[in-house]
Amino acid sequence: MKLTRKITSILSDQRVVLSIITLALFLFFGLKNKAFFSADFVLFPLLRDAATITVVGLAQLCALSIGHLNLAVGRMAAVSAMATGYSYQYLGFSLPLGVLVGLITGALLGALTGWIVVKSQVNAFIVTLAMDFALLGFVTFIYVTFTPAAAFTTKPAGMDFWRNTSLAQYCIAGVCGPKIFPMMIFPMIVALLLVGFMYGKTRLGRELLLTGSNLRAAKLSGIPVDRRVITAHIFSGTLAGLAGVMLGFTNGSFSAAIGSEFMLPSFLGPVLGGTLLTGGSVAVFGTMMGTLLTLVIRQGLSVQGIGLETLNIALGLVLLLALSLGQIQKMFTSIRSRGRT
Amino acid sequence: MKKILVAGFLAVSLTIPAAAFAAGTPDFSKVKVALVPGGAHPYFQPWIVGGKQAVTDFGIGATTFNETGEWDQTKQNAALDSLAAQGYTAFGIFGVSPTDINTTFENLKSKGFAVGSLASCPAGTVNKADFCLSTDTGQAAYLAAKAVIKQMRGKGNLVHLTGNAVDANTVRRIAGVKKAIAETKGKVKLLTTITDIDKDLQTAQKAVSDLLAAKGKKINGIVTTAYNPAVASTEGVGRTKLPIKVIAIDDDKKILNAIAKGIISGTVVQNPWGQGYVGSYVLAALNSKACTMKKSGLYVDSGSFLVTKANLKTYDAQRLAKSKSILKDFKTKYLTCA
Repeated sequence: MKLTRKITSILSDQRVVLSIITLALFLFFGLKNKAFFSADFVLFPLLRDAATITVVGLAQLCALSIGHLNLAVGRMAAVSAMATGYSYQYLGFSLPLGVLVGLITGALLGALTGWIVVKSQVNAFIVTLAMDFALLGFVTFIYVTFTPAAAFTTKPAGMDFWRNTSLAQYCIAGVCGPKIFPMMIFPMIVALLLVGFMYGKTRLGRELLLTGSNLRAAKLSGIPVDRRVITAHIFSGTLAGLAGVMLGFTNGSFSAAIGSEFMLPSFLGPVLGGTLLTGGSVAVFGTMMGTLLTLVIRQGLSVQGIGLETLNIALGLVLLLALSLGQIQKMFTSIRSRGRT
Repeated sequence: MKKILVAGFLAVSLTIPAAAFAAGTPDFSKVKVALVPGGAHPYFQPWIVGGKQAVTDFGIGATTFNETGEWDQTKQNAALDSLAAQGYTAFGIFGVSPTDINTTFENLKSKGFAVGSLASCPAGTVNKADFCLSTDTGQAAYLAAKAVIKQMRGKGNLVHLTGNAVDANTVRRIAGVKKAIAETKGKVKLLTTITDIDKDLQTAQKAVSDLLAAKGKKINGIVTTAYNPAVASTEGVGRTKLPIKVIAIDDDKKILNAIAKGIISGTVVQNPWGQGYVGSYVLAALNSKACTMKKSGLYVDSGSFLVTKANLKTYDAQRLAKSKSILKDFKTKYLTCA
């Protein structure tokens, strides 16, 4: 009886369920075709992509925490990456300085979005949708006007290092790191720790969640909700900017295509992880697990040689799974509470 | 659409005598070639047939076609990695992003694979693949614009319909059309260049409809340098019966029928079958170490041909002859074989 209660208690945690499913699928794909365990061709690139998409997921999570959606997350990434690329190509900036330019650009775009939402009192869905269109036009104009090949192609020293290097190249006392971990996971880890710390341990994080959970109650509690809305969008924009720069590093140049595929994954990771679309509850670690799950499914099917249509059906099923996980979690919680009474 | 194109090219390929070009071919049985376009598009369907023909003619271990890139460089890179994990060792790639694809090429080559850039070369002057076998997109656009200007009797207003504005290939196409217009010394004016309408046929149809409704009477010629706008402008001009000269691109059945009926003036066709066929041979030759490129990163034009009513029935033979000629050039001029 105790064991059953313990199992239901563990399974009521969405992150645990997600981790089990991800691990099970990982082993399933690997056992079905050993090529899936290839460090060079599958695991290293998978984790490198997961790092970028997790940061995109965190960008969306910040907006979701206050009950908003950021539909411009991809375009904010594109503009930030564009600013970074411009700084490398025309201003001769060093790699870290260019990254800083990208982050500041993302933060400013987020601040502008938040400010418009607060001042206009228009739903964030509409504001970010409008922002997405405006930024799309802006990005196209800049690339067509300022570049001969529609991209900033100057690579500062160190850019290839972030793309290609794994922990295997770092050894302590003869013991080297795993080959599957790319350097690109470090920006993701930093982002995860900072966002996790903010929502889990700080007053600011709690205020953001309360704003998302119940705006009226937050106001009555003395929380400066307008400022918190702007703050959440600043975090969202900054993280979107970071993801855009990371993708630019991975691809090898800064083009308008950056961020164009961010929208769906930005929701998939957080929602699968347990973040509520309605605000008030976030799952930072869950975002990473949700992202990993989708990438494991995509790459796992790809290694099996499955075609485009099946791939997309499988990813659609993942979305359904996201909704089902919430229900499964509720079911276990209900079983647990019944067991207690 | 795919079935029609595949069936058409299958019919063409069956007319080629088996092993027609295969004399003296080394052993390619251990080479597995992957042909990887940027995403799904009817243009690339002949690659499948060309690749299969290359297996038959040259004894290549296998060729596969993977279109799961979905026009996203990250997804295409993931598809390439998964193919490498499955044992494919030679890659013919249409890069989604011409400015990023050199990074992908470098990555694959560093692992000992043979890499060919098919149907599009990287942006800029550097090609990190072993070779690039592609239509010269700027030259093809120039050829198409010259053809439509000729149909317009050298004067009037021209419209250019094309694809993604922030794609390096589109930049080349726009430059090609502008070059042809500049040569008329002001007699032909570029009324407008409409970009970003190659996403799907519906988008192109709407753009063409709007264009013809708003400016139809002012337009003397339309040059299209992307697949969907070509089909849409063919339909649009046919429907409205406006006296507009159209030069399309590629050889969709609707376009060929419109040329036969005199609705449009012609089309510039490319050589995707040749890219798949010759590309597979060269990749197998490089990966098997039987040959090396004399000049790494060499650009080879896969050919573009103006098709009008006059050569509607013969252009395919012309295209096949071009493929034979490219293959011969690779064997005799561009490759050094043991």
